[in-house]
Amino acid sequence: MCGPAAWAADTPQDLVLKGDATCTACHDEADGPELLAIGKTRHGTQADTRTPTCTSCHGDSTEHVGYKGSGKRPHPSVVFGAKSVNTADARNGACQDCHVKDSKRSHWEGSTHQARDVTCAACHKVHAAKDPVRDKRTQSEVCFACHKEQRNLINKPSHHPIAEGKMSCSDCHNPHGSTGPSLMKRNSVTETCYTCHMEKRGPFVHNHQPVNEDCSTCHNPHGTVTESLLKSRPPFLCNSCHTPHGPIQPALVNGSALAGSSSGWWTPTVITQGKSCVSCHALIHGSNNPSAAGQRFFR
Amino acid sequence: MKTREQLFGFQQKLLVLALLAAFGPAHAADDEVAKLIKPDTASISAGAAVAGAFRPNGSLFGQYNGWANNSSAVLLDFDLIQRNDETGTWVTAAGRDLGLDSRELSLGSQRQGAWKVSLDYSELVRHDPRTLNTGLQGIGSSQLTVNSLAATGTGANQNLDIKRTSYSLGLEDWITPGVSVELSVKSEDKAGARLSGVGGYCGPVVPSAFCAIASGGLLMLAEPITSNTQQLEAKLNWVGTGYSLTAGYYASLYRNDKNATQISGINGNLSNLSNLSALLSQPVSQAPDNQAYQMYLSGTYKLTPTINTTFHYAATHATQSDSFASSGTPAAAGLPSSLNGVVDSTLAQLGVTARPMPKLSLLANVRYEDIADNTPHALYGGTYSNQTNSSTKTNSKAEATYLFPENYRATFGVDYNWTKRKLPDVGSTLLLIPGDSLTSIRETTNELVYRAELRKALTDSLNATLVYSQSRRDGSHWVNLGATTSAYPNTYQPLRYVDVTAGGVFPTTMMDRNRDKVRVLLDWAASDALSLQFNGESGHDVYSAPNTAAGLKSANTFALGVDASLAVTDDWKLTGFVNYGEQLMNVSQTAGYIARLNNVTTNYGVGVLGKLSGKTEVGGDLSYLDDNNAYGLGSGNSAAPGVLPDVSYNTIALKLFAKYALDKQSDVRVDLVHQNITFHDWAWGSASTPYAYSDNSTVSMQPNQIVTYLGVKYVYRLK
Repeated sequence: MCGPAAWAADTPQDLVLKGDATCTACHDEADGPELLAIGKTRHGTQADTRTPTCTSCHGDSTEHVGYKGSGKRPHPSVVFGAKSVNTADARNGACQDCHVKDSKRSHWEGSTHQARDVTCAACHKVHAAKDPVRDKRTQSEVCFACHKEQRNLINKPSHHPIAEGKMSCSDCHNPHGSTGPSLMKRNSVTETCYTCHMEKRGPFVHNHQPVNEDCSTCHNPHGTVTESLLKSRPPFLCNSCHTPHGPIQPALVNGSALAGSSSGWWTPTVITQGKSCVSCHALIHGSNNPSAAGQRFFR
Repeated sequence: MKTREQLFGFQQKLLVLALLAAFGPAHAADDEVAKLIKPDTASISAGAAVAGAFRPNGSLFGQYNGWANNSSAVLLDFDLIQRNDETGTWVTAAGRDLGLDSRELSLGSQRQGAWKVSLDYSELVRHDPRTLNTGLQGIGSSQLTVNSLAATGTGANQNLDIKRTSYSLGLEDWITPGVSVELSVKSEDKAGARLSGVGGYCGPVVPSAFCAIASGGLLMLAEPITSNTQQLEAKLNWVGTGYSLTAGYYASLYRNDKNATQISGINGNLSNLSNLSALLSQPVSQAPDNQAYQMYLSGTYKLTPTINTTFHYAATHATQSDSFASSGTPAAAGLPSSLNGVVDSTLAQLGVTARPMPKLSLLANVRYEDIADNTPHALYGGTYSNQTNSSTKTNSKAEATYLFPENYRATFGVDYNWTKRKLPDVGSTLLLIPGDSLTSIRETTNELVYRAELRKALTDSLNATLVYSQSRRDGSHWVNLGATTSAYPNTYQPLRYVDVTAGGVFPTTMMDRNRDKVRVLLDWAASDALSLQFNGESGHDVYSAPNTAAGLKSANTFALGVDASLAVTDDWKLTGFVNYGEQLMNVSQTAGYIARLNNVTTNYGVGVLGKLSGKTEVGGDLSYLDDNNAYGLGSGNSAAPGVLPDVSYNTIALKLFAKYALDKQSDVRVDLVHQNITFHDWAWGSASTPYAYSDNSTVSMQPNQIVTYLGVKYVYRLK
């Protein structure tokens, strides 16, 4: 095609998208090579008749194209950068016209991101061959642009493998809107957690009520210093709801043996150190033991 | 490149020369354009890396990245992307970390708008960063034998790992432009062991059949894990003008291959616990097989051009009927052979968004969820019934946003959350464990939240947001199970705002709570090159319950942060951030102490990304995180304040990379990571004294961990 293109010197030819010649006559490989990378994406697959052209997203931009003056050229009708004067709805509308068909985006309207005017382009790089937000190794950096607290938390010692690139935010959240709280991917926090931690679902002979209600009562899934992503350290965490074994003060080991304590073996150190309350109440998510030993999540 | 400009002005007499001049650049130009717009590539990245990242010195670094047990490894990744431009059919294949135990493989093919298929395989090992020193035998199995150590530190070092291996299949087909089906199937095996334990006590007051004298013991165990989860989801999607509808089915099944953990060896090895042998040797049950099946209907409907609705309805039937006997914990005679657990859940949600006028947008949403635990009751253990948890929740939200003059955008919102927990009808056939550990509960809680948000573009380049929210939670009167152990059978008794026993604690999630939060955000594009973001947040919670002597009293949060990004030149970019966060909780305890749990986190980092030349790209990040937890014990406490030292976690990480283009098809990439972690935690020992189990088993982790990683990769691309 190079020959005819070369000969048809004054006839603008499409470079990437159907009908893009008006735009790529100027925004070509010399002016904006990064823009042409859209050709490497699903949007640039011309065999798919649904794929857009430049004006599908940027509007007809007649003032921008037809400008003859010597001053600053007007912007295209719709632009997506930080200084865009277009409303979020106007910017997102270009995407939604097509992607509204995706069932994973059906609850975008009314979602937190929609209500706070987050635009599709705030997270997605449409012209890039590889969109960082769609790669689990780089996705979290995109999310952290707004969610600063989570950037701190994932670097704490007890964490899901997000920093290691083995999990992504979208494994649990659907940023396009969901039927669960906090844009949870499934209908609730527990239902989302059970997708990987199904052994906690029960029901058990002895259920621990917060387990069924909301995992985040005790856990912070983004990261903590305490083992098992616990929000705070037992016994203090457990003491938020429970009375411990009498008037025991927290203390640390001094080398004395644990067994045989005359005042009961749940000594201050047993209460405070090791796995604390969970040392004995080991099946804290629930016990299916039908004997008396299963009571209070012992066995 | 401008082909037409290059050709402009050519004369016929120079045709031959022009052809040479034109075709040459045109070829080059088309090649250049093709390189920019054609996705067809195959790349393979191979290399090797070395790291001082093996247990125990690099146990935190190597938790998930495959480096826990390695000091060197092969680095192997590949990508294959092929598109048939005639049909729009893609074929992709990718491999990641193939030389490590966190390897991933994926294959996919799709014809856009027609069909899509994907296959994924992944391995992920979680290496527990802590090391056990123990005589325990049989780790990984459900037959554990306790071997008491003569002294701490004289056992074998053991590391516990949990490996997940998953296989996924995804299918998607567009039957017509408006109708599609989706199917996804995932199976995941989980194998390994995790730290667990058992304890037993024969107190001086209530000796039981298990032991003759007062004593206690605590044993460290390793819970064996061999299980499988399966998930299947099928969707039928129907999209038309102004509406969409999805009918779905989701099944999730858990299968546990391990039976109850059997413990032996206590009698022979732990003479001081011999009287507890019968108690401590009781089997520890495993999580039972369970399954849940869900049908749902979800979608959208546009009532008018400016009014949209969303809806969702889901019904879930979850069961658990794993046999007690075959699980290693048989039930006593007269009891059911399995729990026959049944939990039925219903979720209904309706949302409306509207823009009645250009400057006004409205949002309303109501969500109703009913969880009915229909598990039959029986007197397990001969004394108490199994517990069932049923509840109903309603969450509703209304919000209005209006664009005022001067470009002020204001949002006002109200949320109302209502929860009702079904209290069991305690009677002769339903006896619950007395409430001496959970003093009281509430049948209902209500929370009302008001939110106000103001946004304004202060200048063309500076946007500001101010958010204030206030919530008030209260609920019905508190009830308990009768706190005195002599009051069997227990019954729920109303105890409306009367002091309960001195040991009374009320669950945090049900207490009255007044919450106030304020948040400020500034987003400033100072110039085309420099952008800055500021965020500040402060929150204050006050909790109250009938008993003011114990429980969570208040909590404060505070956060401040700045992010900056500077494009120094087209080739060089700098980034940086500073964050400070503080969380303070005041918890009173029955023993009379007040704990001021104060967590302070400071996090900052700088990054650089740039090109040294057309062939050399470099980048780096330096980050610092300091997290400090203070456990101040205050007045009213017989122990001295500060009896618990702070727990501190500090990490400095330097990550550098350089990429050099050998030619158009190949690069060499070098990565260097240096991480220094200091973690002072008294959970498993303090003042050089390990926390020891009754058999002298101990757990430890290197408090100072320094890891250096050097990786060199050769990347080759086929076009």
